[in-house]
Amino acid sequence: MPGIEHYLILSALLFGLGMVGVMVRKNVIVILMSIELMLNAVNLSFVAFSHFNADVKGQVMVFFVMTVAAAEAGVGLALAVAVYKKFKELNIRFFEQLRG
Amino acid sequence: MEMSSILFYLLAAATLFFGFRTITVANPIFSALNLALTMITLAGIFFMLDAYFIAGVQLAVYAGAVMVLFVMVLMLFDLSGEARAFSRGMMSGILKVGGVSLFGIIVIATIMGSFSNILVIDSGEAAAGQALVQPTTRDLAVVLFSRYLLAFELLGLLLLVVAVGVVAVSRIKGGTHARD
Repeated sequence: MPGIEHYLILSALLFGLGMVGVMVRKNVIVILMSIELMLNAVNLSFVAFSHFNADVKGQVMVFFVMTVAAAEAGVGLALAVAVYKKFKELNIRFFEQLRG
Repeated sequence: MEMSSILFYLLAAATLFFGFRTITVANPIFSALNLALTMITLAGIFFMLDAYFIAGVQLAVYAGAVMVLFVMVLMLFDLSGEARAFSRGMMSGILKVGGVSLFGIIVIATIMGSFSNILVIDSGEAAAGQALVQPTTRDLAVVLFSRYLLAFELLGLLLLVVAVGVVAVSRIKGGTHARD
């Protein structure tokens, strides 16, 4: 029977993977995917705490996080599409040169 | 080893493998597919934790809607010039080393914390494992529509604002659906 620490370690590893992805990758879309990975890791620790404390509030929080994550992905992708349409560029290095 | 442990380790290994593939595969389409598989294995872990509603939402919203959004957007781009998928340079290297060590610290802190009893409120009861009564989807609905009703309605408002905002972004000058 895996205990709460198993789930928390899995969550920490997944969060670390997402964090490394944000720092290492150059494509804006892949960076957004890595952010989703981190949000999922946090959701996992919320659900684990909810299970091991038999408290439903953690799951309510996960529900809210999922909704905000979907909204964030929508806005992020819309901006990425708008930038690509204008500059034909998806590289994160390119975004530091934007002036006005 | 019991059944639930085997299942947990299988799902955990699959999750970590697909998560690792998500950030290491050079082609963004394969990244998206690996991310979808990560979401599905995570939904399996949510099932193991008796969070059936959350697992269903994870499959429908994340593995379904959000991933379709990602793949659709990727199809709009010309990704043939994706030879250098990873950033290079001194600053980036420092960030990578810092990120990996921070990540190690989180893991070590979790392992250290698991030896103390701060993680569960009543450790005596929790040690008994299944002695706790797990909340059902009904309990989740009752809490969501009573105590957190205002937050729930505000989420609806947020989604409306985001929908209008995304349409506005696509309609501005130079956007994908510009009026001129």
